[in-house]
Amino acid sequence: MAGLFTAEIENRGIVLDPRTKLAVMLTLVIFALGGTGSGIAAVRLMTTAVSVLPMLLLLTAGQYRKAALTGGIYAAVRTAQSLLLPHLTGAALSVSGICCMAFVRLMPGLVMGGYLLSTTTVSEFIAAMHRMHVPQQITIPLSVMFRFFPTVLEEFAAINTAMRMRDIRIGGRRAGRLIEYRLVPLMVCSVNIGSELSAAALTRGLGTKVRRTNICKIGFHIQDAAVLLPAASLYVLWGLGMIGVIQ
Amino acid sequence: MKGKDLIHIGIFSAIYFVIVFIVAMLGFIPVFLPLLAVIVPILGGIPFMLFLTRVKKFGMIWIMSVIMGLMMLLTGMSWPPLAVSVVSGLLAELVYRSGNYQSAAKAVITNGVFSLWVAANYLPLFFAAEQYWASRQNFGQDYIDTVNRLMPVWMCPVMFAAAFVCGVIGGLLGRALLKKHFEKAGIA
Repeated sequence: MAGLFTAEIENRGIVLDPRTKLAVMLTLVIFALGGTGSGIAAVRLMTTAVSVLPMLLLLTAGQYRKAALTGGIYAAVRTAQSLLLPHLTGAALSVSGICCMAFVRLMPGLVMGGYLLSTTTVSEFIAAMHRMHVPQQITIPLSVMFRFFPTVLEEFAAINTAMRMRDIRIGGRRAGRLIEYRLVPLMVCSVNIGSELSAAALTRGLGTKVRRTNICKIGFHIQDAAVLLPAASLYVLWGLGMIGVIQ
Repeated sequence: MKGKDLIHIGIFSAIYFVIVFIVAMLGFIPVFLPLLAVIVPILGGIPFMLFLTRVKKFGMIWIMSVIMGLMMLLTGMSWPPLAVSVVSGLLAELVYRSGNYQSAAKAVITNGVFSLWVAANYLPLFFAAEQYWASRQNFGQDYIDTVNRLMPVWMCPVMFAAAFVCGVIGGLLGRALLKKHFEKAGIA
């Protein structure tokens, strides 16, 4: 989970507009995760194509290992789903079906989310939100939240280790304090980190009444068009399917 | 509302969402699915009560609620949670406001009202069941049958009531921990 919202400006390959990434993300949620239009064959096919898009985007960003890993897992699960599942019944079907489903549907969205967060800086995110006229009251909490996730998880892992050493774990001698002894330290350190974060944000002029300026250059280019085209075609196919032009 | 308040919303939303996400993973086991409306409000009550000690201006609870709805939209729970969270967040805000942003009893009830959005995640299960399962065919018929047996339509209001009651319990729990730890440490 490292590198969320802390992208380096250099060495990140082809740069997409944050709004493009958001649009692809939403498309994946609607079609891959939400299963919209899964009754139409063309949409199913296109959904698979768009599901592979995040892994290709990882390639363009120079994250080759991650791209190969996620692409490999996706391909393996996908084949297992189409070759293995029809032969199973009962509990085996339930378990493996849920696992496959979780992977095939969740993974594109998760990979896209990872790509979005690892290639976008907070400044770019705020600039894009500003262009879309999203009010500051939503953008600031959202950007803080995404920036804060890795911190929370990191602190939680450290606390977890410490508490396991004291035998405060599931099945341990002091399992009753399992939750209290984890959440309380987590919140104490989060609050401390939070006040440091607000101090840092104040010096950057976040949350003032005046209009902030931003030196990030965001805008749509040819690469955005290339990415948006397959995503947009999904909506077109779905629309055509709904009015009955294609099956 | 100043930058500092908005940053606090972000921080507590992050903690709250991590809890939601961990608990939601349990939902893959059928028996746990209805229990989400019980576990999330209780555990979420702990950070939420600390958050409420930071709330002094109108809108903070509401924004957090809207953000939770947006996160549900982004994680594929469709639009009903967002629609409910916009309304329940405003209600929670009004409840806490009626206690001048400092009443401890109102804070507990606020957590109950705030938690209503968790139950909204089940709405498609009751009112668009066929569509809900059509996109989850791979779960296998056993899972579908088990969940349908556990969740007849009359369970819908029960889920909302459960979310509220557990929210109140979570609020009390959070309140107790607040007294025990945070006030002593000087951060409540």
